[in-house]
Parts: sequence; structure tokens; C-alpha cells
Amino acid sequence: MTVRDRIRAENLHVGYGEQEILKAISCSFVPGTFSGIIGPNGSGKTTLLRAFSRVVPSAGVLTLEGRDVRDYTPSELGQTLGFVPQDEERPFSYTVMQVVLMSRYVRASRFASLSPGDYARCRGALEETGTAHLADRSIRTLSGGEWQRVLIARALAQDTPVILLDEPTSHLDLAHQAEVLSLLRRLAGAGRTVIGVFHDLNLAALYCDRLLMVSGGRIVTHGTPGQVLTAQRIRQVYGAEVVTSCHPATGRVFLLPVHAAARPPGAARLNVTVISGGGSGASLLHFLVGKSFALSAGVLATTDTDYQAATALEIPCIPIPPFSHIPAAALEELEGVLAGADRVVLSAHPVGPGNLPVLLALAEIDPSRVVVHLPGGRDFGSYDFVRGTAEAAYRGLVDAGARCTATYAGVLAFLDADAAGSGGREPGAGVPIIPGLPAGLPPNADRW
Amino acid sequence: MTRTVPVVLGLGIAAVITVVLCTLTGPAGFGIPSTGPGGADIVGGIRLPRVLAAFFVGGCLAVAGAAMQALFRNPMADPYILGTSSGGALGAALAIVFLGGLYVPVFAWLGAFVAMLIVWSIAGQKGVISVETLLLTGIAVSFFFSAVVSFLVAIAGQSVHQIIFWMMGGFWNASPGDALLAAVILVLAGSALFAVGRDLNALSLGEETAAHLGIDTARVRWTVLGSSTLLVAGAVSIAGSVGFVGLVTPHIVRMLLGPDNRVVIPACVLAGGILLVVSDTLARAFFSDISVGIITAFIGAPFFVWLIYQRGHAA
Repeated sequence: MTVRDRIRAENLHVGYGEQEILKAISCSFVPGTFSGIIGPNGSGKTTLLRAFSRVVPSAGVLTLEGRDVRDYTPSELGQTLGFVPQDEERPFSYTVMQVVLMSRYVRASRFASLSPGDYARCRGALEETGTAHLADRSIRTLSGGEWQRVLIARALAQDTPVILLDEPTSHLDLAHQAEVLSLLRRLAGAGRTVIGVFHDLNLAALYCDRLLMVSGGRIVTHGTPGQVLTAQRIRQVYGAEVVTSCHPATGRVFLLPVHAAARPPGAARLNVTVISGGGSGASLLHFLVGKSFALSAGVLATTDTDYQAATALEIPCIPIPPFSHIPAAALEELEGVLAGADRVVLSAHPVGPGNLPVLLALAEIDPSRVVVHLPGGRDFGSYDFVRGTAEAAYRGLVDAGARCTATYAGVLAFLDADAAGSGGREPGAGVPIIPGLPAGLPPNADRW
Repeated sequence: MTRTVPVVLGLGIAAVITVVLCTLTGPAGFGIPSTGPGGADIVGGIRLPRVLAAFFVGGCLAVAGAAMQALFRNPMADPYILGTSSGGALGAALAIVFLGGLYVPVFAWLGAFVAMLIVWSIAGQKGVISVETLLLTGIAVSFFFSAVVSFLVAIAGQSVHQIIFWMMGGFWNASPGDALLAAVILVLAGSALFAVGRDLNALSLGEETAAHLGIDTARVRWTVLGSSTLLVAGAVSIAGSVGFVGLVTPHIVRMLLGPDNRVVIPACVLAGGILLVVSDTLARAFFSDISVGIITAFIGAPFFVWLIYQRGHAA
């Protein structure tokens, strides 16, 4: 045990009466860190925070600055630990300043007035949270976000080495979230121990030094955001499908939910291959994944968004290294996939010398099995980076009888018409698929 | 904040003027009665003690109301509505019936304390206090204790007048000793509550909030329970159960001065005193000395309804 730990819990059990909410919790928090407690709803995160502040009774070792928390007098505790609740009742019309001044009660003598220094400290805290202009307003007139920032200001003005926050950004808009979390980072940087419960995993990952993941009343794992937030663990703990990525500006781990619809039961009706690239097919793959097709994707570079989408959606594809020509083996594999596909969806995508062979390979298959998705307002020329060869290949496909549509619904109608047993030669009646679309003309007629 | 001093000063002056004017007012009209012998005796010996008793009892009830509102985090708390007065009345009635009037204030305190503990343990403990639970618990406690008082008074062969005294209150029997008793209790309990004024501010935002701000919530809670019931007991043993003073006064004071209890508590002494002296003078001089509780209910009950209406229409 080191005295350097601001808060240290060892084999801590927490509960209200008979009901034990947290079991065998062991963790510690050092000065100068901003830690996040994360976990699913009802996992016990807030209870853990409230156990630290002693408002929920606990059994086991729980020390604050090396001393048992239960040995603190209320006043000592109030000078060591500040708490920001998620919300607070407002039964009376105190002014914002009066509420923030409550943080100074613990240091003031019972009968003396609060000092000018107390007022200055509170004004400073209001300024830090961007609420100085509200100082004379009644707290009952504040919005949820304003009130939350005032509660944070009150904890700041309490000048405690430890600050606990229960979802401090839950009522805040984007700009104020960033403002408050940056402020908390600065406080941690200045040596305070900041511990927050967070619902938003990305915000927690972006700002916290350490994360503590709680589930079912136990600590599942802790460490840096990158160590804690893996797709596999999110699936285990939250039962949610996510892909992890890197925050483009900070390099921190970033989670993106995947709204993968459950695959319908029963046998797939058709083998459908989606040919795309450069991110053109990601949302199309996502659109089709919940339908009852056996989906596959084409040749995709591993840095391609489409590759990430296919991987996340568990759609087989033919991965190749980025920035390289397509290896012969991959092309051969693609030809095999195309041969086995009942239908091929070609999502219009930029074509250069590297991926031109894919487009040329499509010319080899029966064009009536192909539907081209060309977004409205675009023409094939805009996807051509090989001086006309790609445009000609696209147009050749359509001229040869491939269907062309500007919408996902059009793609689906084509696939469904096939699935209905018409043999794929004729699209479904009344489905506005435009055969032989002239190049350069946006398929406006195809919008519904 | 800046207007605290002038407003409190104004209340003080208004209190003095009210006491003087109301002492000079009676069924015989304004001024010292000149007809018949002993006009000055009526003023000094009968009216003045009654006016002073009403003033201090009003202060007691108003301060008790303010403290209970902070404790229950609810501006609708009041000793009458929450049954504390009925508890005090039961204690006092028991002392009168079984002990021949010995220790009336002590038993009133015990009764008020028990009533308050019942309401607290049902409606006041954890987390958010629901207004409905609080008020319904208070009403139930109030009904039950009032019924027991009526029963006691009836079987003890006392007059219906006595029952009215315990239910609605009155200053018919107020003596100089009563005025002194109310004043002493007001000073003692009022000071105790004033001393925890800041803690009450924090407590009125929530028990956990107060704990997080470094306040010894258990000590403050027992201070409030003990002091406010003492205030109510004093008021009840002198004047029976006078309603709504503890509800209306803190509300008006907060509208004038804001909710800081270090200001609200002293201001409630003055404002509650004024309110009850004026009510009692109205009852005494203009309505053939009916129960003062009737007058305060005329003011307080519509006010209570207005508070409920406001609550429904607040955002």
C-alpha cells in the first residue's frame, strides 16, 4: 500500500441493506489522473462513486489519503472530496451564487460571514464553467445543462483534492461537453484526482487517462482506454456490436456502433456479391445485411472503409494490401466468386489503374445478373481515373443489359424481383429501373 | 442580498407598530376604552399579554415551518398540515386530563416529536421526498391524533369549546406567563435553528448534497426535529392548533428576501408574529372572538391550494 493513492479500495462490498450491489471491488486512484468508470446500465457505477463519498455504506478497505474513509468527520470529508451529482432537486429559489457559496460552508466558521475570498473563489469557479453570467439567476430558472455546470462549479469551489462526478456531461450539448471535460483534464493535470462515471464511451476514451469497467457489480477490467475498449469486450459486457477505430485527431480509441439487424432465419434466397471500393459500398452492405441474401464482397484493400464495413458485418471479401495492384490470386478468387453469384451489385466507385481489372472482370459475366448502383447526380465519368477506360467499362455493362438504379430500394427491387422467381431477366413490374441509362444524365426519374 | 437589511428593519418596525395598534384595538373600538372603570387595566392586563402571546406564538410557528420546509425539502411543509400540531395537542390534552395540567408543554413536546418522527420515518428518509407521500402521511397523522384528542376531551367531560381550542386554536386564556413561555422557547429553539441556518440551506437541496458539502447531516436533522417540535409544542400549549402560519409566513419571507435560512429564520419571527397578531385582533375585535384558527385558515387554505396549483403549472 502506498500513501500516494488518493482513494484505495480493497475487497470492497457495497450495498443498500440486504442487497449487495458491488462485490469484491479492488482499485486505486492516484493524484493527477482523470479516471472514468464505465459499464452498462445498472452495473453499479454510480453506487461505486457514492460508496467512495460514503453516502452508501460499504464493507472492506476503503481509504482516502491513506486513512479509512469511515474515520473522517463530515467536515474533513467535505474538505477532501467533492461530489457532482447528475442532477439535484431545486425546491427553493436560491441564486446560482448562493448555491455555489455552499461549497465554502465547510471552511467557514458557523457564525462568521463568508469572506471576500470565498466570493472570489466562487466567481472563479463560475467563470471556469462558463456560468458567471448566471450568478444572480434563480436556480429554478436554469436549463438542465446550466444547472449541471453550476453543480460542477460548486464542486470546483469546494477545493478538494478529489472530485467525483456522476455523468457530468449527461445534460450538456457538444460544445459544453468538450469544455467541461477539458476543464476536468486540466484539474487532473494540476494534481487533483478526478473520477467520473460516464455513459458515453467515446467521451470517456477521449478524455480519461484510465478507465474502470464495471459490470454486474464487479470490476471487469481497467487500464488505458485502448486496453479497456475492445470490440470483443464491448460485445461481452454491453451485448453491443461495435467497431473500434482511431480518433482521427487524437489517436485515441474510438467506438462506432454497428446496427447489424439480425439475419432473418431460414436459407438465403440468393448469393449476392457487392462490388465496391473507396467506401462506396459500406452503407449498401449495411443496407443489405439484414435481408435474406448470402452476401459477399469483392476485392477490397484493408484500409478501405468498405473492408472495415464488410469485416464488421461479417461479410466475406477478398482482402488485399493497400496501395498495390490486385494480385493475380485475388483476381482469380474474385472470378470464382462472381461465377458463383446469382446476382452482382456493382456500386459505382472510383476506378484507377489498380482496380480496373475488377471492372473488366465484370464484363465477362451475364449482364442481366448485374445491377449498377449509380447515386443520383453522378455520372460514370466522375468515377473514371484511367482516362475513359473505366467510364467505357461502366457504360458497356449498362449497354449490355445491366440494370442501373440510383437508390438502394431500386437495388433491392431488382434482387427481390429475381428472388421471386422471374429468373432475373425482367425486373419487377413497376419498378423504375432504367435500362441503358445515357451517360452524364442523372437518373432523376429513379428517385422515389 | 443588499435589500436584506432594509427589509428586516422594515419588518421590525412593522412588528412594533402592529403590536401597539392591535393592543389599542378591541371590540369597543380603537384606543384605550374610556367608558367604565379600568380601561387601562384591560389594555395592559388583558390585551397586551394576549397580543404578545400571539406575536411569539406566531414567531414560533413560522420558524418551525421554515425549518421543516428545509428538512423536508418542500415548501408545503407546515406543523399543522404535517400533524405536528395535533401531536402536540394530544400530548397537552393527555397532560391536562391525566395529570391535571402539570407539565403541559413537556408533554406537548413529546407528542409533537412523536408525530414528527412518524412523518419523517415514512416520508422523509431516502432520496427524493414525494410531496404526495409527505402530505398524505401528515394528513393521516393529523386526523388520527386529532381524533384521539377529541375522544379524550369528550370522555373527560370537557366542553365542546375545549375541542375547538385544540382543533382551531385561540388566545382566550393567554396570560403574561404564556407570552413569556413562548418568548423563551422562541429564543432558545430559534437560536439553535439560526445556528444551523447554512446547513439548512445545503440540506434543503438534499441530504446527500449536504453530506457532500461537509455537513453533519445527522446533527442538523436532530436539531431541526428537536427545535421545531419544541416551537410547535410551545405554540400548542398556549394557543391550541393554529394552522397555516408556518406555511404562509416562510413563503412570504422567501419572496421578499430569498431562501437563505440565515435570513429567513429571523425574518420569520417578525413576519409570523405580525401575521398572528393581526389575525387574532381581527377575530377578537371584529368577529366576536371566534377561534383565531378560523382566520388563519381563511388566509392559509386558499394559499395552500394556490401552492398546489403553482406546482402543477411549474415547468
